[in-house]
Amino acid sequence: MSTELKTTGLKTDEMIINMGPQHPATHGVLRLLLTLDGEFVKHVEPVIGHLHRAQEWQGQNRTWFQYQALIDRVDYLSGMFTSWALSRAAEKIEGIKIPLRAEYMRVMVSEMNRITSHLLWLGTYLIDLGAMFGFPFYPFREREKLLDLLEAVAGQRMMFNYIRIGGVQREAPPGWFAKLKAFTEEFPDRVDEYEAIVTKNPIFLKRTRGIGNLKKEVAMDYGVTGPSLRASGVPMDLRRTKPYSVYDRLKFEVPVMEGDGDTWARYMCRIKEMRQSNEIVKQCLDQIPGGTPEELREKRKACNSCGKADCPNCGGDLQIMVKKQNAGLRIKAGEGFEAVESPRGILGCYVVSTGGDTAYRFKWRNPSFSNLSVLPVLLLDHPIADIMAIFGSLDVILPDVDR
Amino acid sequence: MKTASAAAEISKFARLTAVWLGIIFGAVWVTCWLVGVFLPTLVEQANFWQRDVTLAVANTLRMLVPILAVMVFIPINAMFMVLAERRALALFTVRKGPNRVGPDGLLQTAADAVKLLFKEDITPRGADAVMFTLAPIIFFAPSIIGVLPLLCAASANHDLFKVAGLPTGIFYVIAVASIPVVGIVMGGWASNNKYSLVGGLRSAAQAISYEIPLVLAIITVCLMAGTLDVVQIANKQSGGLLTWNVFGGGALLQMNLSSPVSILAGVSMLISCILLFLIYITGACAEVNRIPFDLPEAESELVSGYNTEYSGIKFAIFFLAEFTNLFVVCTIATVMFLGGGHAPFPVLEKPVIDWLAGVLQGIPREAGWLIRSFVQAETLCGAFWVILKTYTLVIFAILVRATLPRFRIDQLMDFGWKRLIPLALILLIAVTFLRELV
Repeated sequence: MSTELKTTGLKTDEMIINMGPQHPATHGVLRLLLTLDGEFVKHVEPVIGHLHRAQEWQGQNRTWFQYQALIDRVDYLSGMFTSWALSRAAEKIEGIKIPLRAEYMRVMVSEMNRITSHLLWLGTYLIDLGAMFGFPFYPFREREKLLDLLEAVAGQRMMFNYIRIGGVQREAPPGWFAKLKAFTEEFPDRVDEYEAIVTKNPIFLKRTRGIGNLKKEVAMDYGVTGPSLRASGVPMDLRRTKPYSVYDRLKFEVPVMEGDGDTWARYMCRIKEMRQSNEIVKQCLDQIPGGTPEELREKRKACNSCGKADCPNCGGDLQIMVKKQNAGLRIKAGEGFEAVESPRGILGCYVVSTGGDTAYRFKWRNPSFSNLSVLPVLLLDHPIADIMAIFGSLDVILPDVDR
Repeated sequence: MKTASAAAEISKFARLTAVWLGIIFGAVWVTCWLVGVFLPTLVEQANFWQRDVTLAVANTLRMLVPILAVMVFIPINAMFMVLAERRALALFTVRKGPNRVGPDGLLQTAADAVKLLFKEDITPRGADAVMFTLAPIIFFAPSIIGVLPLLCAASANHDLFKVAGLPTGIFYVIAVASIPVVGIVMGGWASNNKYSLVGGLRSAAQAISYEIPLVLAIITVCLMAGTLDVVQIANKQSGGLLTWNVFGGGALLQMNLSSPVSILAGVSMLISCILLFLIYITGACAEVNRIPFDLPEAESELVSGYNTEYSGIKFAIFFLAEFTNLFVVCTIATVMFLGGGHAPFPVLEKPVIDWLAGVLQGIPREAGWLIRSFVQAETLCGAFWVILKTYTLVIFAILVRATLPRFRIDQLMDFGWKRLIPLALILLIAVTFLRELV
């Protein structure tokens, strides 16, 4: 296709550019086949699959116990959520009701994980906009503190493997609650700091306002979920619309943005979400049955940590795991689908079990995949410089797309 | 980072700066002494040839001083600036920065330079090899020859540097400073890479748009000073802060306090000049491709822009030249707007020079027979202020880099053509009339 400039008679051709998979800004290995007319994007074809690791097939060839450790790698920024979805699906088949303390621990670590994920997104998004060396390090300062806390409880900083079928892996270490409480106290001030630098920055506003408008209908057609959907004005959050775990006991807002759903709205939505997650963690710290690990340990001195199910200090809702797992973990025959609201959207796990120690079939519903699919629509008629501003605002994790 | 450790990092940064400035100016001083004093004296004393030949050789050696000083200064200075930038960015972003090579990371850039020298020099397939090699040279050469007149102003017109002075100094500096963009376009074109090409073209567009407000700001200063000679422009600002061009170039001192028109004109002059300085700084940032105007090498869009395909020594030269250009525009700002080598308060200038001259006189004849003929109190003092002001501006540019995201290319053009150029033109006309009214 070529267009002709009438005044000069010069012919201009469209240029095809391969952006990625080895491009510093594609957050992994996405390849975008761009057709450009001058600086403007006329057609985009995202080419995915460079990171395909056959995660679903691997699940069908590994025991439940092994697969739990593997599945954190699907979305490496929010490992808690993938293992949570898997655990909930398996528990649904098995018909387990997990102890309340474990539920609160799950919510707490997941919300912390959500904050770390959004913080990383914030830093890298500013890099996408060209603030190379300054601001991106501030979110990482807070992320570091949260990762230290998650490491203290889970033993790992990224691939937590903490939420297990039947509960959570272990009790929090002494002093953990106090540290987390101190963090939740100071975190809103930190978010204020980010907002002071970014939200009112005229260059940032110019780069994000009115760019990459995602209309409500388009977003719903493409199955976009998570903050990207809520920024377009759809109040869709599984934690609120279909409350699971203990979310119905917690008070929090679901930030929904008015307007066109531009990149700025997606940014704002995530900033607000971080504050809400912080509130959720705060409430969990107050509401969790049994209180802090230190208090629990004091109480359990009375029964000498008997561990019996009917003990008021050890059993019931104060447990963190229904039954200690081992490598021979088996799930009853049956099928189940459970979804959780991950930092990127609805993360669903469909699983069919035949009663063995290996699942018969896995199917994951990954939010990044659906969110990425809307990219060609969003990029149309935007200049090259906006590609990364828009792509970054969708917060796509490539391993999550390719599995 | 806690306050105590932040203070420790700042003190480390200050120590590093002091050591590096010692290295830089020690090297420059030794070069000047060798070529400007020692060798000519040796030639004259030895008297091998006829009298006139001897004199010609000695004078040629003396005339080589400015260019040799610059050629020694620029690579070492760029190495220091790279390190200073990384350490300062680390300070601004609560990190430590490079601190492993040598004491406190002093030798980090030296190690980097060695690494780059030993890397393979790749010319991509399909690239225009001649242009590809020529591009970094064309990019770098102007920054060496461009600073010469400024050197004259910075050294308070020292005898050895007088040869570099030009009656149309600033015109020459600006003319030379616009050459590097040719190198960028050449590099972008010759790389045979779409990203590089787009980077090079963007650079050309950007340089054309932002040189206009920059030059308009400079023209206004020349108008106020009534000369194009950088030495004279610097000397006109010798009366302390209020005579600096950034604060109205003495308009506030001349104004007639009994006449409201005069007061109004003086204050308007002050505001206009501050705005002009800001326009200059903005234009300069765009001219040397610093954030928020680093579109030619926008990493998130164009991989690395015009220098995507460059490696090894050619990349090092691009890198070197970029930092040198930053230094040059900061020096221009110092000389044109911030009083050059003159102290902010007259109290700090004359007495200090007198005291220094006394100290220099006190050096015993045996130890100082060569030093005294070469070191002048005015030069030392002037160089101190120029260095202080220039590096303050450099640190400011680094702080800007640590804060702002990048413009989009159309927004950049918009800002340049629709905001800066009209504003600079208005200010030029305003200053023309205001200085008559004061």
